[in-house]
Amino acid sequence: MKRPLFTLMAVVAAPGLLCASNPEQAQDMGHLMTLLVLQLAVIVVAVRLFGLIFSRYLKQSRVLGELVAGMVIGPFALGRIHLPFLGHSLFPKTEAVLPVSPELYGLAVIASIVLLFSAGLETDLPTFLRYSVMGTVVGIGGVVLSFCLGDLAAVAFLPGVDSFLSPTALFLGTLSTATSVGITARILSEKRKMSSPEGVTILAGAVLDDVLGIVLLAVVVGISKLGASGAAVDWGRIGIIALKAFGFWIVCTVLGIIFAKRISKGLKWFRSNDAIAGVSLGLALLLAGLAEMAGLAMIIGAYVMGLSLSQTDLAHELRERMHGLYQFLVPVFFCVMGMMVDFSALKGVLLFGLLFSAFAVVGKIVGCGAPALLMGFNLRGAFRIGAGMLPRGEVTLIVAGVGLSAGAIGKDVFGVAILTLLIASVIAPPILIKSFEGGSGLRSQLSVKSEEKGCQISLTFPSVHITTFIASRIRLAFRNEEFYVHEMNIEDRIYQIRKEDISITLRQKDKTIELNTTQDNSHLVSLIVMEEILELKDLLQGIEKLESPEGLCTELAACLFCELDESTKPGGSEDA
Amino acid sequence: MRKKLKKQLNTRNIFLDLQADNKASLIEEMIDRLIQGGFVSDREGALNAILEREKKMSTGMNNGVAIPHGKTDSVDRLVVAVGVKRSGIDFDSTDKKPSRIFIMTISPASRSGPHIQFLAEVSKILRDEESRHRLLEARSAEDVIRVFG
Repeated sequence: MKRPLFTLMAVVAAPGLLCASNPEQAQDMGHLMTLLVLQLAVIVVAVRLFGLIFSRYLKQSRVLGELVAGMVIGPFALGRIHLPFLGHSLFPKTEAVLPVSPELYGLAVIASIVLLFSAGLETDLPTFLRYSVMGTVVGIGGVVLSFCLGDLAAVAFLPGVDSFLSPTALFLGTLSTATSVGITARILSEKRKMSSPEGVTILAGAVLDDVLGIVLLAVVVGISKLGASGAAVDWGRIGIIALKAFGFWIVCTVLGIIFAKRISKGLKWFRSNDAIAGVSLGLALLLAGLAEMAGLAMIIGAYVMGLSLSQTDLAHELRERMHGLYQFLVPVFFCVMGMMVDFSALKGVLLFGLLFSAFAVVGKIVGCGAPALLMGFNLRGAFRIGAGMLPRGEVTLIVAGVGLSAGAIGKDVFGVAILTLLIASVIAPPILIKSFEGGSGLRSQLSVKSEEKGCQISLTFPSVHITTFIASRIRLAFRNEEFYVHEMNIEDRIYQIRKEDISITLRQKDKTIELNTTQDNSHLVSLIVMEEILELKDLLQGIEKLESPEGLCTELAACLFCELDESTKPGGSEDA
Repeated sequence: MRKKLKKQLNTRNIFLDLQADNKASLIEEMIDRLIQGGFVSDREGALNAILEREKKMSTGMNNGVAIPHGKTDSVDRLVVAVGVKRSGIDFDSTDKKPSRIFIMTISPASRSGPHIQFLAEVSKILRDEESRHRLLEARSAEDVIRVFG
C-alpha cells in the first residue's frame, strides 16, 4: 500500500520538481493544476446534481441535465463570477477559439474517445447489417435527407454561407444526422413496443445513423482542413477524402473482424482483466491518434477500435471495465460542451436555430418515415419510426465540438447545435408517446403475424440486490447463447437482446425483471431464464453445503470487537 | 436454426425403438446409443450431466415430450439425440402424463453456443400436435428428419 502511495506522490509532485530550475514556470504549472482540479470538482458535483434533477424531477435524459449543468456553471454564466481567493473566475474565458482551458478541453477529448470506444464495443455491426435490412434503409434515408436539409438550411438562412460545400454548411448537415436512441428506448420499453416492428426498425436504424454520422464527420473534417489550408475544394478532392474516410473505416473494421480472435489472444497474454482493459484503451487512443494524423477525426479511430474488439470474446469484460471510466468521464464531456454555449452569440442566430431545429425534425420524420412507408409500414407506422429517430445526443455534441475546435463553425452555430439537441430531445418523448396510440403501424392488418404479438415474462425477487444479480446472470446466459446484448438506456436498465430476427427486451424495475418478446420467441426466453434460475438454485445449495456457515460467521464476528495484536495493528509488520 | 437442426440429425442419433421402461434407464439407453454412434466417448461425464440437471427439475414437459439435457466438457460440441417410446414412460412430467418423445442434448460446459436455443426451437416445433403425431408414427430416421425440416 505504501509503495503505490509514494509513487502517486512522486507523480503529482513531478511537474513542480521538473520545473524547479524555473520557479516561475513551476508556480504557473501549480496554479494551472490547482485550477483544473477545482474546475473538475465543481463539474463532477454539478453534473451529478443536474443529472439527478433532470432524470428524477423533469423526467428528461440525464445527458440534457449534464449539458445544462455546463451552461449554468460555464464561462458565460456563473463561471464568470470573480473569485477573490483565485484572483479570477473559476472558468476564465480564453482568447482562443474555445472558451475553456486547453487542459479541460483535453479531458473532454479523452472523454469523447472513451465514449466512442465504448459505443463501438456495444455495436455488433455485422449482426445489425445482416438482419436489419429495414433498419438499414430507414437509417440511410434519415441520414441522407437530414444531411441535405441541414446543409440547405445553412445556405438558405445563414449569412455568409453561400456554398453547399462550405465547412459551416457541411457541419450543420452532419449535425442533423445522428440519433440518440437512449430516450426512444426508454419510451418503447415503457409502452412495451421494443419488440414491435417499429421498435426493432428504430433501434437498428439508430445504430446505423451513428456509424454513418461518424464517418460523415470524418469526411467533413477532411474537407474543412482542406479549406483551411487554402486549397480549392472540388468534388474530386471531396471524393478522395470520402474514400479515405470510408476506406479507413472499412479496412480497420474488416481487419478487426478478421483478426478478432488473434487480437483477443494477444490481449489475453496480459492475463489480468485490468491490464487487458488498459491495453485496449491504449489501442483505442493509438488508433484515434492515427486517424487524426490521417486527416480524419480522432473519434473515428476510437470507434473502429471498439467495433473490432466487439467481435471478440473479451467484449463483455471490456464493457464492464470501461463502465466506471465512462460514468466518470462522459458526463464531464457533456458538461464541457454545455460550457461552450455563448448565450450572447446565440441572440443573433436564435431564429435560425429554431428554423434549423424544424428542418432537423422534418429531416428525420420524412427521411426515416418515407423508406418505412415503402417497406410495408402505413402512415402511422412510418410516423412512429420518424418520431423515434428524433432525439439527438452524444454524436451531435461530438460533431459540434469537433467543428468548433477546428474553427469550421463559430460560437453562434455551436449554440444552434445545442439548441437543436435540446429541442429535439424535449419534443421527441411526447410525440413518440402520442404516435403509439391507435392501431397497427403495418400497412395491412393481415401482415401482423402471430410472431408479432407481444408477450411479457415478469419475475419478482425478494430484494433489489438479488434482482440485479439475477438480471446480470440472465444477460450472461443470453450472451452464452451467442445473443447480442445491448444496453439501450443506462439509467433505466433497459437491454435489447438480439440474434437474427429474434428481439427481446430486458428491463429491471426495482425488484422485478421484465422480459418482452414476441409470442413466437416466448419459448426460448422461458427456457433460458428457467435454466438460469436452476443454476442459481444450484449455487444456493452449494452455499448451504458449506460445512459450517454458522461457524464461519461466528469466527468472523468474533474478530469484530477484539483487541488487535501487535502484528495487525496499523503500522505493524506487513509480512506478519 | 431449422437448417442446423436438420443437419444435426441422422440415422445414428434417432432412436425409434427405445426399450427402457423407466426414466433412469431410458437416459442411460440413449447415452449408450450415442456412444455407439460415436457422438460421446465419456459415458460417466455425459450421464452425470443429464442426471444432475434432472435432479434440479425434471425435464418432462407437457403433451408427452421430454427434453433431458446437460452440460459437460466431456463433449466438445453440441450432441443431439431424438428418441421415441410409443408406449410412454413416467418421466415426472409437468402434466403427469407419460412421456413418449425424448429430445436429448449434451452441450460443452465451457463453450458458448446456441444450445438452449436449439432446445427451444425443437420445443417450438413439437408444440404442434400434428408434428408430435408424425413423430410418433415415424417408421424411419428420414420420417423424423422430415418433421424437423
